[in-house]
Amino acid sequence: MKIFVSIKMVPDVSAPMQIKNDELIMDLDRAVLNAYDASAVEEALVLKEAHGGEVVVVSVGLAKAAETLRKALAMGADSAVLISTENVEATVGMDSSSFAKVLAAYFSKQSYDALFFGKQSQDTDAGLTGSMVAELLVIPYVSNAVGISREASGGFLVKRQGDSGQEMVAAGAGCLITCSNDMNEPRIPKLKGIMASKKKPLDVLSLSDLGVSEGDVAPKTRITAYRDIPARQAGQKFSEGAAEDAGWVAEILEKNDLLS
Amino acid sequence: MIFLHLLTVQNGGIKRSSLEVLSRGRELVDSICKSSGDSAELHAVVCSPEVAGWDAAKWSAEIGAYNVDKVWSATDEAFKEHNNQALLSAVQSAHTQATGDGTKHSVIAMASTEGVKDILGALSMRLGASVIADVSEFEISAENDGIQLNATRPVMASKAQTKVQATANHVMVSVRSGSYGIIDQAALGSDGDYDANTISHQHVSIEHTDSKLHTQIREIITAAADTIDLNEAEAIVAAGRGVKDETAKALIDELADLLNAGIGASRALTEAGVYDPSMQIGQTGKVVSPQLYIAVGISGAIQHVAGITNSKVIVAVNKDADAPIFEVADYGIVGDLYEVLPALIAEIKRRKG
Ligand SMILES: Cc1cc2nc3c(=O)[nH]c(=O)nc-3n(C[C@H](O)[C@H](O)[C@H](O)COP(=O)(O)OP(=O)(O)OC[C@H]3O[C@@H](n4cnc5c(N)ncnc54)[C@H](O)[C@@H]3O)c2cc1C
Ligand SMILES: Nc1ncnc2c1ncn2[C@@H]1O[C@H](COP(=O)(O)O)[C@@H](O)[C@H]1O
Repeated sequence: MKIFVSIKMVPDVSAPMQIKNDELIMDLDRAVLNAYDASAVEEALVLKEAHGGEVVVVSVGLAKAAETLRKALAMGADSAVLISTENVEATVGMDSSSFAKVLAAYFSKQSYDALFFGKQSQDTDAGLTGSMVAELLVIPYVSNAVGISREASGGFLVKRQGDSGQEMVAAGAGCLITCSNDMNEPRIPKLKGIMASKKKPLDVLSLSDLGVSEGDVAPKTRITAYRDIPARQAGQKFSEGAAEDAGWVAEILEKNDLLS
Repeated sequence: MIFLHLLTVQNGGIKRSSLEVLSRGRELVDSICKSSGDSAELHAVVCSPEVAGWDAAKWSAEIGAYNVDKVWSATDEAFKEHNNQALLSAVQSAHTQATGDGTKHSVIAMASTEGVKDILGALSMRLGASVIADVSEFEISAENDGIQLNATRPVMASKAQTKVQATANHVMVSVRSGSYGIIDQAALGSDGDYDANTISHQHVSIEHTDSKLHTQIREIITAAADTIDLNEAEAIVAAGRGVKDETAKALIDELADLLNAGIGASRALTEAGVYDPSMQIGQTGKVVSPQLYIAVGISGAIQHVAGITNSKVIVAVNKDADAPIFEVADYGIVGDLYEVLPALIAEIKRRKG
């Protein structure tokens, strides 16, 4: 069984940040493996441990995205592919559609049992790339997975979080699945894994290796400014004892017509 | 220009978040017609499994006030359950016909439900449209080279927001619940009394592509049937790690019952299996927009707060006076939930008589 997992390096949302002149200022060296992608890697590794096979992690980005690939290799992935955008002019503004085109160009030349994606990037919450790639490759897909098992047929049974309940969805081999972080707790690489990861293959490809031009990856959306979120004001705090505090708050809620 | 909205229907009714987007569509279409004299139309797509076919009276009652210029309805067994390929095909057919094979420019706007998130990216590729997901505000203007969409969307777990722009012949947007108000039916039409025959309607059929593309739902595991939909709830009581045992859960239930509130949970509790995963609120879970949100034993991590900032009034109960939840709460009670909740319940009961 061969599973490819698309993983992205994202800025750490818990790092301090500041907005000045419409721009976001933060320490971009504090980048991490997208949490949803870490869950996708974990799930692929669990399936590999149960059924045998191979897990390949793929990332499109600048040379430093190799760190993220190394982390996934240290978790246990077998090999990694970096599709470098290092010399691509549009690289800063690339959006989900740009990445989807690159990833689809790569996967169209591979054979696989499944493609795993994160359900969204934790910095932008876009949640678009997975189903875009499925559409470009003309393959079935299931999004927002909270559990995956392999079926005897070679297909996958996916537990997906829908609007009200969970759906058990069967998808044939060759499908694409986007993963929620509610699926599992990604393993923390151990020293042995970290040492081993250094010897694992990490191939670097360029866009032209895939026959993708700069025009193909031109973003379709453009961020024109960063802004502060209009902050909610911290309100009144009560700490006089349960009975008294409850009385105050209930009175306020009643006055605001919120007790009906 | 065509403004096309995919109606989100759940349990036979249209979801509030969907009507919010339709309301915004009406407003934008009217303002384009007025300001530029351009012709702009509001269209809706309805997908339903009802074999009985199109029920004009029902839909006129539901959306008549919005003066929808055209409704495209797809009726197919496939819509009994969520089915991404069937939905994609229905919207594509409606879009093709509404825009005259794409010659008219269009905006395709939908509510940010799980069902819509599932198809948004794929649909944008299929229609060759530019897409901006999960916005809290959006404007459109007709330009020579297409439609310009300007949107605002939260990023970095809602610690910042971006202004995003797309210009294309076809632009798509999904909208967070609670971003726009619902048009007052009575204020628009003649007391909600609409002529069922005037709603212009046409069937679209879906393409049953080769089975290779299809996924199949084997089973649906639903949360208790009588639970209130968190996206629609007017009041929510949400439990966090502080809610440790059955006693605390019973207090949450009692408070929610009193307020006719939906019950939500932080990730700490859905992960521990204490509450159903569909009850999770936040970045991974749901974005909610109730009038009243009561957070009990929730610390207020950014990923949780990301889902609740559209609430009108936030009340927090937490024993740690420094918990970050108090920075976003309108009213905070510092105290042990085992003491505060019984007092609050008693006090609310007394006032409600
Ligand atoms: C990518 C990503 C996505 C995430 N998505 C979500 C999401 O969608 N939703 C979500 O909720 N989290 C999400 N998280 C997790 C989030 O970061 C927090 O870990 C989580 O919200 C913590 O839940 P909590 O507040 O219940 O628990 P804690 O942080 O442990 O807080 C418990 C609180 O209860 C209080 N308490 C304890 N006992 C009592 C008592 N007796 N009376 C009163 N107060 C008491 C404590 O003072 C404390 O403040 C996400 C994280 C990541 C990385
Ligand atoms: N540059 C990239 N390289 C590899 N995978 C990506 C990249 N961008 C997005 N993805 C994948 O697509 C998912 C959704 O991304 P997004 O559309 O940005 O929310 C991520 O969780 C990744 O699995």
